[in-house]
Amino acid sequence: MKTFAELNFPGRLIAVEGLDGSGKSTQIYLLKRWLEAEGIKVYFSSWNSSELVKSATSKGKKRELLTPTTFSLIHATDFADRYERHLLPLLRAGYIVLCDRYVFTAFARDVTRGCPPDWVRGIYNFAAKPDLTMFFKTELEVSLNRILEGRPKLKFFEAGMDLRLSSDPYESFRIFQGRILEQYMAMSGEFNFVVMDANQPVEQQQKLVRKLVGEKIDLSKFKRRSPLPLPPAFPPDPAKEAEEDMAA
Amino acid sequence: MKTDSVPMKKCRKFLGHGIPHVKIDDLAGKLIVIEGADGSGRSTQIARLVEWLETCGHATVPVGLKRSTLVSSELEKAQEGNILSRTTLSLFYATDFADQLENIILPALKAGFIVLADRYIYTLMARDMVRGMDEAWLKNLYGIALEPDAVFYLSLEPEELVQRNLSKSATLDYWESGMDLGLSRDMFDSFVKYQAAMQAAFRRLQKTYNFTIVDANRSVDSVTKQLRKEIRALLGEE
Repeated sequence: MKTFAELNFPGRLIAVEGLDGSGKSTQIYLLKRWLEAEGIKVYFSSWNSSELVKSATSKGKKRELLTPTTFSLIHATDFADRYERHLLPLLRAGYIVLCDRYVFTAFARDVTRGCPPDWVRGIYNFAAKPDLTMFFKTELEVSLNRILEGRPKLKFFEAGMDLRLSSDPYESFRIFQGRILEQYMAMSGEFNFVVMDANQPVEQQQKLVRKLVGEKIDLSKFKRRSPLPLPPAFPPDPAKEAEEDMAA
Repeated sequence: MKTDSVPMKKCRKFLGHGIPHVKIDDLAGKLIVIEGADGSGRSTQIARLVEWLETCGHATVPVGLKRSTLVSSELEKAQEGNILSRTTLSLFYATDFADQLENIILPALKAGFIVLADRYIYTLMARDMVRGMDEAWLKNLYGIALEPDAVFYLSLEPEELVQRNLSKSATLDYWESGMDLGLSRDMFDSFVKYQAAMQAAFRRLQKTYNFTIVDANRSVDSVTKQLRKEIRALLGEE
């Protein structure tokens, strides 16, 4: 699996992974805000968000129609749609793409659900490796408590109820998340996860996130040429435009 | 010797990893697949087979592409807009297939039904191969599929297919003409080129997956006769 840099893409992809309640979404949001303020071309994409596929996924989840295989395939479809229509063109155009969850989420979840690991990995083998993957690691109890405190009503698939681990959704969620964490840790070295201590205060984590990103990526190369897309004050000058096109 | 006339019982297996937790030996029914382009007479033959099999006392269940509860309507909508890229389309179809496999095909086989599939993974693989998808990737993806008891590919020259399609509806279907591939701006040309490529892909697949190629350039009755003969042998009813 090669990174986008190794594949000579002008853009770079940064992914965050972690259990629900690890605080990874907060961290990537703050990273996005910082990059935007720096005038950098940045795009954010979250797991399971393709307009096209979402209605099927939510129908499947609501009506509990999904099996481990269709759960895996429908998420792969969602990922492929975002990957081919958004991520790839943006990475070709020199964007920094931020992904809240990437293929590793599928590797961990689908395998926990009983799909063969090499089948799942084979399906996602069209996707390149992120240039930086940060894994937000908390004590299992900490992330469980964050979720269970804030959102007492657990959804069927979220709690892993389809695995029949326990008839109690809370107990099921605990066992399920524990198994996912094991899967994540097992692949951490193979995919060069940078393991972040998610028990630290938000600000301290973000400081480290920004430092890591700055070290890994020469951000000055990703600045927008003009900071704001202002409407033209004068009719565009064709001669000058042609010059700029040549320069680009 | 008498024992020679007993048809060889094919060992039931998935093409790859299969579906987790399925007991394969419980699948007592038969899975019969009819493949072929639009206009090859697929639907006509399937309707006739259903009637014949039911008259003989077999329970049948029909399945086909894009008929799942889970994604068929979304897939239809996405295709109308022609906004799917190739991997997405491929995975969308695979999801549709898996949903039917787990919710219709496997339970029906377990109950001893004859499942008649109006197209199966081979059409999906051939379509993707023509669109340049990696064969090893497809093979892994469709490792979930159950190996059918019989696959009949109704083969017809593209020139004859185009005539049949036009005489039926006076128009050619966008996807069956492979218009997304940009082979030609002329729909007639594109149809012929695309169907020729599909046929080549099927012949390639036939080497790996071993299906029966049926010459469909004959009368409907004579094709039916051949199919019945082969299926009777499969069911051990000769």
